[in-house]
Amino acid sequence: MALLETENLTKAFGALTAVSGVTLRIEAGSLHSIIGPNGAGKTTLFNLLTGTFAPTSGRILLDGKDITGTPAHRVAHLGLARSFQRTNVFPAFSLLDNVWVGAFACSGSWKGLLWKKTSKYSKVGERARQALADVGLAGKADHPAREISHGEQRQLELAIALAAAPRVLLLDEPAAGLSPEESRKMVALVRSLKGRYTIVLIEHKMDIIMSVSDRISVMHFGSLIAEGTPEEIQRNAEVRRAYLGGIAA
Amino acid sequence: MNLKNLAIILAVLALPFAMRPVIASEIWIFAIFGLGTNLLMGYTGLLSFGQATFFGSAAYVAGYLLKYYALNAFLALAAGVGVGAFSALLVGYLCVQRSGIYFIMLTFALNQLFYFTAYQWTTVTGGEDGMPGIPRPVLFGADFQDPFVYYAFVAALFLVSLWAMKRIVESPLGRILQAIRENEVRAEAVGYNVPRFKLLAFVIGGAFSGLAGVLYAMLFGIVPLEAIGFVFSGNVVFATLIGGSGSLYGPIIGSFVFIWLSESVSTLWARWPLLLGVAFVIVVLFFRGGVVEAWSRLQEKTVSWRFSKPKT
Repeated sequence: MALLETENLTKAFGALTAVSGVTLRIEAGSLHSIIGPNGAGKTTLFNLLTGTFAPTSGRILLDGKDITGTPAHRVAHLGLARSFQRTNVFPAFSLLDNVWVGAFACSGSWKGLLWKKTSKYSKVGERARQALADVGLAGKADHPAREISHGEQRQLELAIALAAAPRVLLLDEPAAGLSPEESRKMVALVRSLKGRYTIVLIEHKMDIIMSVSDRISVMHFGSLIAEGTPEEIQRNAEVRRAYLGGIAA
Repeated sequence: MNLKNLAIILAVLALPFAMRPVIASEIWIFAIFGLGTNLLMGYTGLLSFGQATFFGSAAYVAGYLLKYYALNAFLALAAGVGVGAFSALLVGYLCVQRSGIYFIMLTFALNQLFYFTAYQWTTVTGGEDGMPGIPRPVLFGADFQDPFVYYAFVAALFLVSLWAMKRIVESPLGRILQAIRENEVRAEAVGYNVPRFKLLAFVIGGAFSGLAGVLYAMLFGIVPLEAIGFVFSGNVVFATLIGGSGSLYGPIIGSFVFIWLSESVSTLWARWPLLLGVAFVIVVLFFRGGVVEAWSRLQEKTVSWRFSKPKT
């Protein structure tokens, strides 16, 4: 059953159509990757799914319910959490406080918002620690986010999204700017999340995509040009043309 | 009880004997004003140059009620808190639609709007002459005309305000506001309605400013026109920065430095604002966290100096 669907989703910025008539079905529990050359519209698609922008036309359905045009802060409460392509954390906060903010937002009850001490929310604190442990940062919980390495910041980026215990996890190039070693760690991390969450992954690195994805959708100039299993995509001539700019064709 | 609280309580007890009780009262009143301003400035990262709007509105409304209707002191304070919060709701609603320089200019422009309303509406506010003749109320038979008694009243309310603000900044709200300061986009993405939270910070800050406004009106028996002017808005920002924005105790220290300098040095030297200017430049250039940061750095220095071994 499809957990997240789009129907003819289109976003135009003036004369530029960044996303054009995209119809996607993300199956519950799957890891669905979206690939495409730079400027194909992948991040814009994420921005539409998470409510950062409203689409020009088309619909977004979560669990069969129309969520088109829902603002970003409400989308998070519906169970869609995203990580960002460019690291987007709370620099002065400790790692634990970073994920705490994510965990509290979707904790269901904001009772005591103005009055109760943050340390008294034991469930939120527990979930925050769990999210840090999931990405392997439990040992650095008290470090300020601005003082950890880029690779660790990418892990934290992911942990903030995880802390919300989302139904769908949207990962925008989690391995962006990582060294080969850090990149391998990130792949292992994403693989460990597979099955526990429904994941939509944007990634450039082909080895990552091919090794972790259940299904792959290929975007080119804002449109979907192919969809299938990793094997099917590897054999697809149009995809090779789009990606390799005619070299392989 | 930790050291900071002990220091505050000692200061509350000692201050009226170290200087005129009126000045001591003014320090704590200005500190309450600073606490509210700091929630916006230090915690949420919103530089508002219009805090006097809430301070002055509350002072005028409560002053009017005290003067013409002989309102009970607690009702007057409640009215002030309400007016402060409500005016902050109006102003904040318009301001949070914009950010950066546009936000700052809006807070400033709306402050001017309130200022000129007070300036023109002479039948109620007294215009340039201010609104004189505000009585200090009688409470439980205590004579508030006695400066020490009124000081005790102000100091008690200051301690309550400090306690309330401490609760607020240590609550989820405090952390969410700081998260907005650190990264607005991410705060929105994880599920917080950022403009709504900014507005909440405005309203709470406005309530504190309103409380300070009423106490100020009762202290001097008059609401001067300056109490709603942009210079006053600037002063509280200034005092908060000198003390250390983003720390709970910063605005208290800032208020002490600001009021003490303006009241004591001004009698010796008419150009005392020069001193403030120099202090401001030093803070901005070297101690972005104000006196609070300077103090903690000094402590680190002495500790590391005491424990560092000479290199061989």
